[in-house]
Amino acid sequence: MKKTLTATAMAVALAATGLAAPAMAEGKITVSSPQDPGSWDPIDTFLINWASLATNVFEGLTYRGPDMELVPALATSWETLDDGTRIRFTLREGVTFHNGEPFNADAVKFTFERLLGDEGAKGPQQANYTSIKEVEVIDETTVDFHLTQADPVLLTKLAGYGAMIVPPQYIAEVGDAGFNNNPVGTGPFKMTSYTPKVGASLAANADYWGGAPNLSEVDYRFISEPSTALAELQSGGVDVVIPPSVPVGMIPTIDADQNLEIISTAGPTVTALRFDTGSGITADENVRKALIMAVDRNAIVETILAGQASVIASFQGGRSFGYDATMEPLPYDLEKAKAMLKEAGVAQGASVEINTRGNDATFNEVAQAVAAYLSMAGVNATIKPYETNVLLNDIIPQGKTGEMFQQSWGGWTFDYDNTAYAMYHTGQKWNPYDSDADLDAMLETQRPMTDRAEREKVLQQIAAYAADRALEMPLYNMNAIYAINKRVQNFEPAPDNRLRLDKVSVE
Amino acid sequence: MAGFLIKRLAQAIFVVIVVTLIVSVAVRMTGDPALMIAQGATDITEADLERIREGLGLNEPFITQYLATLSGLFTWDFGRSFLGGTEVSTLIAGALPATLLLAFSSLVVSILISVPLGIRAAIRRGKWEDQLIRILSLVGLSFPNFWLATMLVLLFSITLHLLPPSGMTGWATLVMPAMTMGVILTATNVRLVRTSMLEVMQSQYIMVARAKGLSERSVLYKHALRNSAIPLITFLGLQFGGLLGGIVVVEKVFNWPGMGSLAFDAVSARDYPVLQSVIMILSTLIVLVNLIVDIAYGLIDPRIRTE
Repeated sequence: MKKTLTATAMAVALAATGLAAPAMAEGKITVSSPQDPGSWDPIDTFLINWASLATNVFEGLTYRGPDMELVPALATSWETLDDGTRIRFTLREGVTFHNGEPFNADAVKFTFERLLGDEGAKGPQQANYTSIKEVEVIDETTVDFHLTQADPVLLTKLAGYGAMIVPPQYIAEVGDAGFNNNPVGTGPFKMTSYTPKVGASLAANADYWGGAPNLSEVDYRFISEPSTALAELQSGGVDVVIPPSVPVGMIPTIDADQNLEIISTAGPTVTALRFDTGSGITADENVRKALIMAVDRNAIVETILAGQASVIASFQGGRSFGYDATMEPLPYDLEKAKAMLKEAGVAQGASVEINTRGNDATFNEVAQAVAAYLSMAGVNATIKPYETNVLLNDIIPQGKTGEMFQQSWGGWTFDYDNTAYAMYHTGQKWNPYDSDADLDAMLETQRPMTDRAEREKVLQQIAAYAADRALEMPLYNMNAIYAINKRVQNFEPAPDNRLRLDKVSVE
Repeated sequence: MAGFLIKRLAQAIFVVIVVTLIVSVAVRMTGDPALMIAQGATDITEADLERIREGLGLNEPFITQYLATLSGLFTWDFGRSFLGGTEVSTLIAGALPATLLLAFSSLVVSILISVPLGIRAAIRRGKWEDQLIRILSLVGLSFPNFWLATMLVLLFSITLHLLPPSGMTGWATLVMPAMTMGVILTATNVRLVRTSMLEVMQSQYIMVARAKGLSERSVLYKHALRNSAIPLITFLGLQFGGLLGGIVVVEKVFNWPGMGSLAFDAVSARDYPVLQSVIMILSTLIVLVNLIVDIAYGLIDPRIRTE
């Protein structure tokens, strides 16, 4: 009981301190982020929401901003040598970490040895960087990356997550656990406080090599409930709500508020209904095509998704490397679909089961629309939602789905390989049903290709091949939707949640 | 009294062990956290998964993992969260006071409203005031808490700009969550106070008190209320358990950083250490509160003390 009383007293004291909180200072914004990643160590994270904050604290050798162009960051230049198996980086001079420690070749070597060593082995990021064999220090500002084989996506990967450069001395001082909660990087903002599950505060790094940011402070609040995040935005408690916390259904409410606006951009996430190609009526390629043609995807995007998405022809969006703008989705043609189903011997009233993620309210509406279209073609679709993690980790990988199942996928590298390999290669977790030797061969050929144009061509062939086999019903590429208060200026929406705020200012 | 306490403590420990055992087994049936952590990575191999499992301590025998969690109750060391590796004790030290603050505030709100209303309804039995109070409490009982929460936010935060819609940054942020929880408890408590008061007021000692010529005020507050408090206290003890369970939704809506939010996130992330610890602590608390309620009887009613 005494403990209880003490705890209550603590809470009361905690609550009381909040009373004295000053009004929002000039040059400060508050961002609502849907999830506390739990650790700020770049090698520990597997959540895209890590990046919405940490992009401001950490930097990699390369940087890819909202325009998707890869530009120098902590490396000023690089050259690819030895048929792509060695990359030499020239490092930026005069950069220091937030604790004053210098950034140099040793820090780069330390970062990757840590990522590829025992500490990195505990986390999920190591698997993304296994093409790096060794990092060799040439001199203070030059490092060579020796690769096991050419890795065309590596430069992009160096702009994100596990490849963020970390301070060796600081980590030696505070340990890995200390670094988790008190991260130090070279970015435009430094973290000043972090309360697990509640929020974190950043302050401008006045010594930033790219020039001091326009904002003096940024507060992040972790708000997982979309309606709560939007209520905070409407009442002025937060200035920016980041994806995926803005449900399409809330857009009209925000549009109607003169202080708020929606800013969106094509994101990495694509959504499809994938087919069980091994059994049921969907084992027949022509049936799969007929089902695709029976669904008016344009109408779904315009009505259910309020136009905040684009119809796709392959399982990738327009920004993905490997995207072919000339590729057309199968057209909506109900009569032809019916004829094709009849020809394939599918009886009227044949049934399919569609598995969806139970917590995805928007997609549940989409699935209902799909089911309605299918019923017009004479196919009875039943929707069976699963708890999202159960669907993703148990039902799909073990091939226990119905004839169709929801797959949403958003690789932050915006490289079609990331999606295609996972979805189509034999034996991959996300490909429980299909095995196609030609597809496997194509997927493997493109991986070590250093000629970008050549590689892009193969990726486009893969997309065309998969579409021709109708391995999924491609639905749409969803926008990354940000809702902001209009007092926030120069806000550029990041397609991939890597939200850099150094150019942002407030009125 | 000592024998009684020892017996109750043994029961309490048994309950906590059973509850945590069930939770630990059940949570492991929901799937593999390593798969969840590796969800976004392509080319993940079984060896990678095994490494992640080893890092999380999942390859230890179940009983070792369970005993480690259980011993956390005494050593205040519950291991690390699977999601990022923060110490579970750090997370709980942040969340437990927040939940207790909310739970006690809700009880206070509920008592402050339900006792006067319940008494009023009992005194004015059958009159329009009684009818109104009973109808209102039925209306209150019918509100789902998430709906009430949303309506309060809509009114006080978005329309009137009086209260912050979420978070825990001051007294202002406590008002709406405590009201949401409190109003729903109140609905039941009003009816309880009313029934209990009616029963007591028909008893012989109240008639005697009246016959002695005591003032109505003295009869009501000194004799009747004290005796009708017993069922209310029992019920508040039971309610506390329900309160801690029901708090998940309210904490989620108001982004209140308590045990409910922690449990919710832990379920979706298959974060075993956090979920087990949260449930273990909450169940211990519920058992503890019931124990306190039993002791409180004795203090209020001398008849129970002598039994």
